[in-house]
Amino acid sequence: MRAILGLLTLLVLGLVFFVVPPAEGLGYYVRLAFFHIPVAWVAVLAFFISAFEGGRFLQKGEMMADAKSAAAAQLGFFFVILATVSGAVFSKLTWGAYWNWDPRQTTIFVLLLIYGAYLTLRGAMPAGRKRAKAAAVYALFSFLTVPFLVFIIPRLYFSLHPSPVINGSGLAMDTVMLIVLIAALVDVTGIFYGLYKWQVKRLLAEEVDVCAK
Amino acid sequence: MKSSLWPGIKLVFTKEFTLGLRFKAAWWAMLMFALTTLACVSMALQGAPLEPKLAAALLWIILFFASMAGADRSFADEDMAGTLPTLKLYGAAQMVLWGKLLYTGFLLLCLTVFIAPLFLLLTGAEVVLGGVFLGTLLLGTLGISAAGTLIAALTCGAQVKSGLFSILMLPVILPVFLPAIFLTAGALGGGSAPLSYLIGMALYDGVLLMGASVLFDYLWYED
Repeated sequence: MRAILGLLTLLVLGLVFFVVPPAEGLGYYVRLAFFHIPVAWVAVLAFFISAFEGGRFLQKGEMMADAKSAAAAQLGFFFVILATVSGAVFSKLTWGAYWNWDPRQTTIFVLLLIYGAYLTLRGAMPAGRKRAKAAAVYALFSFLTVPFLVFIIPRLYFSLHPSPVINGSGLAMDTVMLIVLIAALVDVTGIFYGLYKWQVKRLLAEEVDVCAK
Repeated sequence: MKSSLWPGIKLVFTKEFTLGLRFKAAWWAMLMFALTTLACVSMALQGAPLEPKLAAALLWIILFFASMAGADRSFADEDMAGTLPTLKLYGAAQMVLWGKLLYTGFLLLCLTVFIAPLFLLLTGAEVVLGGVFLGTLLLGTLGISAAGTLIAALTCGAQVKSGLFSILMLPVILPVFLPAIFLTAGALGGGSAPLSYLIGMALYDGVLLMGASVLFDYLWYED
């Protein structure tokens, strides 16, 4: 698995730096998109996993689900920082300012706040079922914001963001770029999955240690 | 909500109200926080006119942080006084949640009734759309109460409480907070105030109330 991911990462890097053509209006700055879009996607995916596993914990009471929810949130926090920073750099290069509260910048920033709040809550409570329950409830409660973040908040701010790759008129991207983007998405999702499995194991071991003490 | 729940909700509300009247700490904390912040804003402005957008943002920041000074105590006070286990023993989850939620809503409404006119008076802001202004204040208060009650229950067992409540509240309340600022700005004459935003706020309030009701059971009952 690691070898395949390593090869895929090298392939994606090669494609991004040597094959992808400069984009209209963006030039070679477009290379940053092949990092920014996948990390933003993983940040959102981790949020869904954290809420889903939180729900499973509340239903079944298994500490494994709590570890999975926490691992997804911890990695999500890391990826959302990468998405925010890379988005800000991209914004500076293309629009001239690091931050302008563009709808998607706002959404990703709210996600950052949610992850930060979730991790602060876990840090403020002693390990055990009570912490797991509180964290799961918060993961699900904050999940309620998603439809509003997607449908209401974007209408409050003017957007400079390009339209999504897949929009109302179909696929809006050069074929080579699209293939490279899909490869980058698969690669970063794979990296997330590998880190996620490792982090779940680590958190479960930590929980066992705390219980033994 | 079942009709058989209502007497229990009323009991919890009456208990909260009586304790609030007896000790008044939460009331004073909220009112004085709001007044101090408002005084700071007003003194800093020195009578200079405020843009409607800025006025709206300031009003909601004052209301949000002042509510944090009181709403986070609903379960922490019980925990400190040692009355939480008794309440758990005799009070069903939904009765406790809705009773405390109603009380928090009432408290925040009192705070809003106190601070909003004072804000208008001290900053010189003028309300152009009274209905939108009142509706926004009402829906904003409802949203903060719904989220605040559940989050107050969440933070009850935390070792570090200072600041935790606001950290947990802000991301959850943003879908109410941002349209509230936008609508208040419109009501103060700074742009449009679309009805769809009010409907959006009402919908989100409904979602928060439902979410709090469903999730509170998990927090209230032990495994």
